[in-house]
Amino acid sequence: MNKIKVKNLHFTYSGGQEVLTGLNLHFDDRSTAIIGQNGAGKTTFVKLLKGLLKPIQGDVWIKGFNTKEHTVASLARHIGLVFQNPNDQIFKSRVIDEVMFGPLNIGQVEQEAKKNAVNALDMVGLSGQAEENPYDLSLSDRKLVSIASIVAMNTDILIFDEPTIAQDFCGREKIKKIISHLRKEGKLIITIIHDMDFVAETFERTIVFHRGMVLLDGEPREVFSQEQELREAYLEQPHVTRLAKKLGIKETLLTAEELIDYVKKPG
Amino acid sequence: MKRLVVEDLKYRYPLSQELALNDISFAVEKGEFIGIVGPNGAGKSTLCQAITGLAPNFLKGAYGGRVLVDGMEVAKEEIAEIATHVGIVFQNPFTQIAGSKLTVFEEVAFGLENLGIPRYEMKKRIEEALELLDIAALRDRNPFDLSGGQMQRLAIAGIIAMKPEIIVLDEPTSQLDPQGSEEVFQAVQNLSREGMTVLMVEHKIEKIAAYADKVLLLCAGKLIDFERPPKVFSREDLEDYGIAPPVFTRVCKKLNIKTADGLYPVTLKEAYDKVVKILE
Amino acid sequence: MKTLSLYQPGRSIIHKIDPVTKLLFIILAIFVPIIIGTWGAALLTLLISLSFILIGRVFKKVLPILGFSSIIILSVIIIQGLFYVNNKAPLFTLGPVTVYREGFYYALNIALRIYNILVAVSILVLTTKPSDLIEALVRKGFSPRIGYIFSSVLQIIPQMMSTVDTISDAQRSRGLETEGRLSARIKAFFPLIGPVVMNSLISTRERAMALEVRAFNSKRKKTFLHEEVKTGYSRFLQFILLAILLAAIVWRVLS
Repeated sequence: MNKIKVKNLHFTYSGGQEVLTGLNLHFDDRSTAIIGQNGAGKTTFVKLLKGLLKPIQGDVWIKGFNTKEHTVASLARHIGLVFQNPNDQIFKSRVIDEVMFGPLNIGQVEQEAKKNAVNALDMVGLSGQAEENPYDLSLSDRKLVSIASIVAMNTDILIFDEPTIAQDFCGREKIKKIISHLRKEGKLIITIIHDMDFVAETFERTIVFHRGMVLLDGEPREVFSQEQELREAYLEQPHVTRLAKKLGIKETLLTAEELIDYVKKPG
Repeated sequence: MKRLVVEDLKYRYPLSQELALNDISFAVEKGEFIGIVGPNGAGKSTLCQAITGLAPNFLKGAYGGRVLVDGMEVAKEEIAEIATHVGIVFQNPFTQIAGSKLTVFEEVAFGLENLGIPRYEMKKRIEEALELLDIAALRDRNPFDLSGGQMQRLAIAGIIAMKPEIIVLDEPTSQLDPQGSEEVFQAVQNLSREGMTVLMVEHKIEKIAAYADKVLLLCAGKLIDFERPPKVFSREDLEDYGIAPPVFTRVCKKLNIKTADGLYPVTLKEAYDKVVKILE
Repeated sequence: MKTLSLYQPGRSIIHKIDPVTKLLFIILAIFVPIIIGTWGAALLTLLISLSFILIGRVFKKVLPILGFSSIIILSVIIIQGLFYVNNKAPLFTLGPVTVYREGFYYALNIALRIYNILVAVSILVLTTKPSDLIEALVRKGFSPRIGYIFSSVLQIIPQMMSTVDTISDAQRSRGLETEGRLSARIKAFFPLIGPVVMNSLISTRERAMALEVRAFNSKRKKTFLHEEVKTGYSRFLQFILLAILLAAIVWRVLS
């Protein structure tokens, strides 16, 4: 089933150039990475999905609801968005209250909100910090708080805007786990991201944005095999893909494990 | 002579119980490119601030040991004077733009005006800095109209124009897209080739492996290792310190491929040279 | 680029005149009509200022300023025309209301002064880069720190406004209603203001460090990238302006 349908979507900021120039896309359950240069229209696109911006022309349907006809607050029951900088949203003095804020806003009763908040904190590995002040946590833990506060809203669709920015190795691995976990729960995960290795390791579908259009769309293996188009969009292949190509391997390899298996394979 | 000497450096933030830097000692030669790696909270940013005298001169706190730049003890100097010897570039390009200037050219002049550099000399230095960072074509643009990568290079130009011998960069590419990061890495490499001493905090481990002469591994305020990249990234206990080796090293480790000195390859080129022989 | 400045770039002779001379002209445009006290003086000053605006090719930008203030001025004229305490002689009658001569002229006089100030200030604001103005003042001994605050605020406030937009988006994304009923808006206050304050504290600290390492607090004597625009004719202009001011005072004392 299509969770999101985008038809002939155009968008322009007042007085500016057209940022999105007629997009047609469908999103099913596959976890999806959106990649592209800054200014390619990725952030504008997810804001349109979220209903924060409304199409100039064309339509966006979120689980059948046209975003033009519904407020951001009512769409928030169906689609969640984790912003890049956790400091843009944190205002409560206890982690648990911060995480319960969204659920309560969209009409969950206290008990349900609490249950969802506790589960979400558990999933991001912060159950021990529920009573602490978010600002006593490190920036990477605050990021996890901001993720938990969207996860607790229990929406069918979740969008992450550059979740791995300023994350170290452990933070990056944690976020990878969170994404696969949510995927297993049947949620649609869409992520804007600049880390190509992370895309190759984590997602089932990759969409390349370039100058307000979709340049490539498909499985990561397919997308990352298009060296020429990627270069055109100012993107690079994942590290392993580059090494494999240099080694003269015909297949497009994405991860360290794939390369290791390939080399070990007799013949 | 050593350009930078750090001796038994200790630092604790006000209101904090733990040492952010715990007995750090190392020395850096002229023209070396040092990559600083470690998990979040390891003390990387604090170390950068201590090298530039921001700790303890701007960020108060308990301080011990010494940081010597060309023999000058930074804790005892004015930050403005240290700035002519060590420059620092931060993560967020936005907050580094002075904001009082309308063009890129004027923005680079900001520090030079404060230092009282004569006009003729100032213009010469700005031209050089813009050239070195490859932003000369943007000279008349408003700083806030630039892309992230351009803005970060402008921030570096503003520091370079003050002619420090050492430049410290604290995760300068973390907020940039792949192209913007690449621009910054290229620019930093240029500086390093010009003989500038570079210390750079960076999570993109493959980049550090490719660019750095030495890697400084920091964890929980302690200096764990300070060696050539293959030496540090070949450590068996690396992940215990919250760092994953470059993906090329991971592949070679699994395949048990070593270079002549018994270490694992760390860059694409090194890995290629070894793996290609096996495939043959 | 979003900026709070009203400056209109241009190459006119008015643009080339240094900020201090323009400041001096504002003082003159305000005080000379008051000192002389005749309608003619006020009108003449206004005409001169307007002709500078025309020469500077920024007339279109003055119109909204004048238009907006005219609404206020019109109400002043009506109120004073009707209710001024010294009202005696009727000027004209419109249905049931009578406008009096004394109040009408009194209000007209005020209007003329306000226009005088607005147009004279517009010359400075529309044809001078804010940074040039502040730099000129710093050269004259104005504190560089205060100068920095003024000039950076013009660019940094628009940046902060975009942070506020992002924060508003982030909270609306969590189902917060920021529009509609008053109670909803009041409830939205803390979720919005909390992150705004925290973000500005963080960025202020970062900015303070960035300024510090660019020798902002250096004890050395500051130099300037741009040469001071102090050509022969700007000295000459300033001399003329001062002479006119003096002449007006002398005229007033003698007559």
